[in-house]
Amino acid sequence: MKRVLLLLLSISIFTGCADEKSTPKETVAISAANYHDVLDKITNVMVHDIFSPPVASRIYSYANLAAYEIVAQHNPELESLTKTIGADITIPALDTTKAIDYKMAALIAQLEIGKTLIFSEVEITDYSDSLFVNWKENDEDVFINSKEYGMQVADAFKQWIDKDNYKQTRTMPKFSVYTENVSRWQPTPPAYMDGIEPHWMKIRPFTLDSSSQFKPERHPEFSMEKDSQFYKELMEVYEVRNQMEETGNKSEEMAIAKFWDCNPYVSTQRGHLMFATKKITPGGHWIGITKVASQKANLDFDKTVYAYTTTSMAIADAFISCWDEKYRSNLVRPETLINKFINDQWKPVLQTPPFPEYTSGHSVVSGASAEVLTKLFGDQFQFLDDTEVPYGLPEREYTSFRDAAKEAALSRLYGGIHYRAAIENGLDQGISLGKHVVTTLNVKTL
Amino acid sequence: MKRLCYILIFAVLAACSKNEKVQENATPPLFKELDAEITNLDFTNTLTATDSLNILDYLYYYNGGGIAIGDINNDSLPDIFLTGNQVSNKLFLNKGNLQFEDITETAGVAGNSDWNTGTAIVDINGDGLLDIYVCAVVGINGLKGKNELFINNGDGTFTEKAAEYGLDFKNYSTNVAFFDYDNDGDLDMYLLNHAVHTVNTYGPAEIREKRNEKSGDKLLRNDGDHFTDVSEEAGIYGGPNGYGLGIATADFNNDGFTDIYISNDFHEDDFYYLNNGDGTFTESLKSKFGHTSRFSMGSDAADVNNDGFLDILTLDMLPDDEKVIKASMGDDSPDIHKMKSERLHYHEQFSRNMLQINQDGEYFQDLGLISGLAATDWSWSALFADYDLDGIQDVFISTGIPKRPNDYDYIKYVSNNQIQKELSKGNKIDKKAIEMMPSGAVENRIFKGTGNLNFKDLSGSWISKDSIMSTGSAYADLDNDGDLDIITNNINAPARIYENLITENNKNFLKIKLNYKKPNIHGIGSKAIAYQNGQQQIKQLFTTRGFQSASEAVLHFGFPETTKIDSLLIIWPDNSVQKLSNLNLGQTIYLEPEGALKKVNYAELFPKNKLWFTKIDSLPGLDYEHKENRYQDFDRQKLIPYQISDRGPAVVVKDINGDGKEDIFFGSAKFDKSAVYFQTKNGFEKQTITALESDAPSEDISAIIEDFDHNGENDLLVVSGGGEYYGENKALLDRLYLQQDKNFSKVKFPEYFENGSVVKAADYDNDGDLDLFIGSAAVSNDFGNIPKSFLLKNNQGNFSIDNENNLGKIGMVTDAIWTDFNSDGQIDLIVVGEWMAPQFYENQNGKLIAYKIEGDVKGLWQSIAEFDIDGDGDKDYLLGNWGLNTKLKANKENPLKMYYLDFDNNGRTETILAQKKNGNYYPVNGLDMLVGQLSYLRKKFPDYKSFAGKTIKEIFDKEQLAKAKVLEVETLASGYLLNDNGNFSFKAFKTPLQIAPITSFLEYDFNKDGKTEVLLGGNYFGTIPYHGKFDQLAGIMLQSVDTFIEAKDLGINFTQKAVINLNILHLENKEYLLVTYNNRKPEVYKLN
Repeated sequence: MKRVLLLLLSISIFTGCADEKSTPKETVAISAANYHDVLDKITNVMVHDIFSPPVASRIYSYANLAAYEIVAQHNPELESLTKTIGADITIPALDTTKAIDYKMAALIAQLEIGKTLIFSEVEITDYSDSLFVNWKENDEDVFINSKEYGMQVADAFKQWIDKDNYKQTRTMPKFSVYTENVSRWQPTPPAYMDGIEPHWMKIRPFTLDSSSQFKPERHPEFSMEKDSQFYKELMEVYEVRNQMEETGNKSEEMAIAKFWDCNPYVSTQRGHLMFATKKITPGGHWIGITKVASQKANLDFDKTVYAYTTTSMAIADAFISCWDEKYRSNLVRPETLINKFINDQWKPVLQTPPFPEYTSGHSVVSGASAEVLTKLFGDQFQFLDDTEVPYGLPEREYTSFRDAAKEAALSRLYGGIHYRAAIENGLDQGISLGKHVVTTLNVKTL
Repeated sequence: MKRLCYILIFAVLAACSKNEKVQENATPPLFKELDAEITNLDFTNTLTATDSLNILDYLYYYNGGGIAIGDINNDSLPDIFLTGNQVSNKLFLNKGNLQFEDITETAGVAGNSDWNTGTAIVDINGDGLLDIYVCAVVGINGLKGKNELFINNGDGTFTEKAAEYGLDFKNYSTNVAFFDYDNDGDLDMYLLNHAVHTVNTYGPAEIREKRNEKSGDKLLRNDGDHFTDVSEEAGIYGGPNGYGLGIATADFNNDGFTDIYISNDFHEDDFYYLNNGDGTFTESLKSKFGHTSRFSMGSDAADVNNDGFLDILTLDMLPDDEKVIKASMGDDSPDIHKMKSERLHYHEQFSRNMLQINQDGEYFQDLGLISGLAATDWSWSALFADYDLDGIQDVFISTGIPKRPNDYDYIKYVSNNQIQKELSKGNKIDKKAIEMMPSGAVENRIFKGTGNLNFKDLSGSWISKDSIMSTGSAYADLDNDGDLDIITNNINAPARIYENLITENNKNFLKIKLNYKKPNIHGIGSKAIAYQNGQQQIKQLFTTRGFQSASEAVLHFGFPETTKIDSLLIIWPDNSVQKLSNLNLGQTIYLEPEGALKKVNYAELFPKNKLWFTKIDSLPGLDYEHKENRYQDFDRQKLIPYQISDRGPAVVVKDINGDGKEDIFFGSAKFDKSAVYFQTKNGFEKQTITALESDAPSEDISAIIEDFDHNGENDLLVVSGGGEYYGENKALLDRLYLQQDKNFSKVKFPEYFENGSVVKAADYDNDGDLDLFIGSAAVSNDFGNIPKSFLLKNNQGNFSIDNENNLGKIGMVTDAIWTDFNSDGQIDLIVVGEWMAPQFYENQNGKLIAYKIEGDVKGLWQSIAEFDIDGDGDKDYLLGNWGLNTKLKANKENPLKMYYLDFDNNGRTETILAQKKNGNYYPVNGLDMLVGQLSYLRKKFPDYKSFAGKTIKEIFDKEQLAKAKVLEVETLASGYLLNDNGNFSFKAFKTPLQIAPITSFLEYDFNKDGKTEVLLGGNYFGTIPYHGKFDQLAGIMLQSVDTFIEAKDLGINFTQKAVINLNILHLENKEYLLVTYNNRKPEVYKLN
């Protein structure tokens, strides 16, 4: 009897497996939550390693896209986005004859690309090892097959990533600040860091035909004449700060400025002590909003990956577009001018980030992200944004993505780091770019 | 048998361990470290961080306490006063035999302030009893109190009377010094304060003009029974940016008035106040010092080289341990450094100890690096004295900080993780954040002066290697045995006495105690000059030295083996002078002014020879100024070891227009037009030479004027370079301009695209016209690659590359000379350059054949000149190199290495500089510099501690290093190739000729003695701030192997200027020296 039972069991398992091979089965229940977790992990390592906003956007986009391409192999409703943009990459086909969990493979590819692009590899390795042990225990075959496939896709991605000009831009000339022209950007207090990523416009974009495709309107002509538009906007930055000071630290403007700071490296000095206060980048914040929206909309694994991928591709292209303009216009920050001509003791609410002023990166990125998210989730999508809670900031509520984007853009004025033109034209630049991404990627409403 | 065996083994073991010990302690201890249990000097400056008072709230929380020494009960035994930050101050009576008694309670000097810092013991009222002044930090984070003045009642008690004297300041005080600034016979006071605000923005240097009560320094004039603040009228800065940590007083220029050197931390400049003698000072730092310490801390002034002028050592925090260097924040990036000096007008500052050698009060030369004193990590107090009684100054340096706030990992990673964690829990961050900072408990240091401005580190021999954190320190002969003992005030550890043991077997000391006129009874400010065997030693009596401390009021000398000295001069504070002769050593003498004394004549005391040169403001019409174009090599080639774009301009002095008068050609930087000046009747007139104008894009590095086409008119050849243009850029082409009927026209010249450096002409093929050697320097945009240099044959002004004499890729050539080195009547060639050995070419009937010499030493050679240095009638060759006053080190066995390869396979090459330290090669650059170019290294080293202390082999793969081309430097010393019957061996110059790169030699009979001398010029600024600025060479006249005359005795001063060319110029029967610099106006000196 016992023997029969055993035999029966083994047959049923065998047949069960055979069945699953034709239609791949989920051996462990991998859900959207796992995907959020992995991305959070990558975010944490990025924050630790101090990646500048453009570089961070590159990491998000490739990690998501690698996972997405595996999902698209499995889900006939989803198109390959690398194919859509005509990328020079061939995604290895999903072998349906093997026991592969495509979600597992997607997470593995996501982790592998993340690990390749961040610095502190051990952080990712430790994290993935604990996942892998679980998966392997659960079903060694599925794990081995899924891992093999995930790594194949990751390898294809690595080759493609290697050709995006990132490596070459590492050794291109430093941005020279030697000029007597006061309208030109100068390093800002307290760390007086070099201008970061002066060659980012040379990075291969996903959807743009060139980095200058969404070149914004020119900023008001630099002038320290009192009745010039430029000077008025400079004084607006100065006076907004003064008004905020009068209202005190509890003003709404102050809350907005701080909420959207998104500066990955604020150098702080107290006493003889120097330390860094680190946060996520503007791109990281919109990745966070994508998470909030996906969770609220209860998206499944595939749709979650789709939302992240399309949004992060828009963010990446937004940085390329914005950085193209920044190092073209090379405009001086308000802090530099105010200290020099108006008040040498003045400090902005936020620490001025180390790159030229025009246009505002956060405005472009927020504009672009909001367009993609609006397409994905709809226009009147209310959400409670808790992205900054781990960084000691409160939650804020928004009625729509565009609403949030407008506030994010304006936060730069309250923060004392941008003139109004960089905010308004930056937002326009981002919106145009976002609409272009929606069309080019044929983004679907979920 | 067994037992015997054991015994044998034991004996062997014992022998071994004994041997090891002997080796370890090759130098026996000079000091015995005495614990409080033995001496009863029971004082610990215990720091207890609280929520409101810690390093986060007060930036100088870890600066520790001070010490003041003085015989308060007139029993001839120096007593000790120690200040505490959070603990009460203590006064210890010296009971003899190094036994002390705590009399704080009965004396009433514990103090009433919450936080005490510096202190001094001084007889402020001239009553013959020593009083105590204590500084306090008042007004931040609830710290209360004031500076206190404890007046000695003469009965073992003191009464606090600061308010009565007008000295009860409630400031952020660091230290105090008492001296007579106006020579009116009483002691005035300098109060050294510090700012407490965090350095978030650097204001311009000019904000020091505003006065700030709390943090600004103050000068207080003693008006008998009270003190008056005269800071403003005396010209003492009291700005909000003064981070005063050190004060040194001395008559630096020997004019009979006391000058002041103030060390300021952070970006504020140090201040050098020269006493004008009329109650005012002139702050003169920028004109007298090329550069200073950056995070300047304590200091000490002493005559280190026995030239009669007091030198100064300023302390900083440069580590010498690889693991600490690479993990710590140090100097600024080139851009921030430039911003501070050019936009904000701060002076040049670099983070290292500097030994500023006083050159007759005219300027100071920092010899910190060459002396061995530059790197002692987190350093507070320096005390010069002749601790081992050999006639040469030694120095003790107290060091250490409980928490090292400049640790990179802490700043970038550790602190943030902690802060994030605590924030998310809603906690206060402070305590944990502080705990995670790494310790900076490094050992105190002692250096033995070994002569010639060299110091030998004997920490671990003379004193033990400790881990106590010593801040204030002072010296005194505590046991009256004739040598100087040292006392340190320590953080969280008992104060320590270092008992000097030298007089147990060496009594070559002379101790002088003064009894001067009231109220300056101890004769503060007096000088003593001891003469012995033609050697002089000078000491000036000031008690405030080191850091927050005052030493015993004693003039103490040591002498090399002898029992007598010839004479001793005492110059009293009123500059009257008294002479004593034939003094026995091994005694303490007590002196007071005797009889009618004459005033000293300093000019006679330190006589000046006739100067060789007189500076001329300008020559009429000569308005040339070289302006280097704005270009930073480090922006494009981030790992280039030094710039290559700032080596111009070319200069030629020669008759161009054929009127028999010398004219001048000046080259120019990129985009500037070169300039030609014709000599007129009494000056010069600038010419417009049309043919030259269109070549403004070229940077002119070298030029030559000769009649190349034999038409009776001089022609001009200009070599283009500048290290900026690369590839086949036309601006790199060399240009020949032939003169015909007073008109220049550019003619055809061989085309090659090299970054040229030098042209030298000679008729090497003996066909009657001048041929050329044209050398090429480093390859632009591909540093480390080797360019081609050329020989060009002349055919009536038609030049062609001499393919039969293919010199090929000699090296990164900087200079060359045509010279018949083997005296066979045929002109030979010697080429020098960087990362190469001097290359000799023997002329064999027009063929130039490489010729191997013994002095085949690779250097960073900058220049060469022919000079019979040993006067034996044959030709020797002087070689200018990088010099030895540098962080770089190289010798034949352990060369400086440079690896050249495309390390990251991105199509661009990199160079990695490595030098040997303790048996291993380490990269010279830190992680951020390397990652800036080789981003993949950030993955290998995600934090600083994983990188710090790693050798070049651990950082790079074996395959990479094997594939890389390795360039080497075997010596950085300038020197000469000594010709010994055709055998050339390399000999290094003496120290004064090694303090900066030597770029130019000028051979001439300057003093009309019928013999040729050679004038040397140099300096170089094209390095990152980590390497500092080589701006200390003032010029030097070389007469023979052992004789040279320094700039101060010549009447020249090239410090702070980068000499490119030296020329003799004849004008109206007078001779002039024309000095051409990079990036500034040339200077002219008349030959006397």
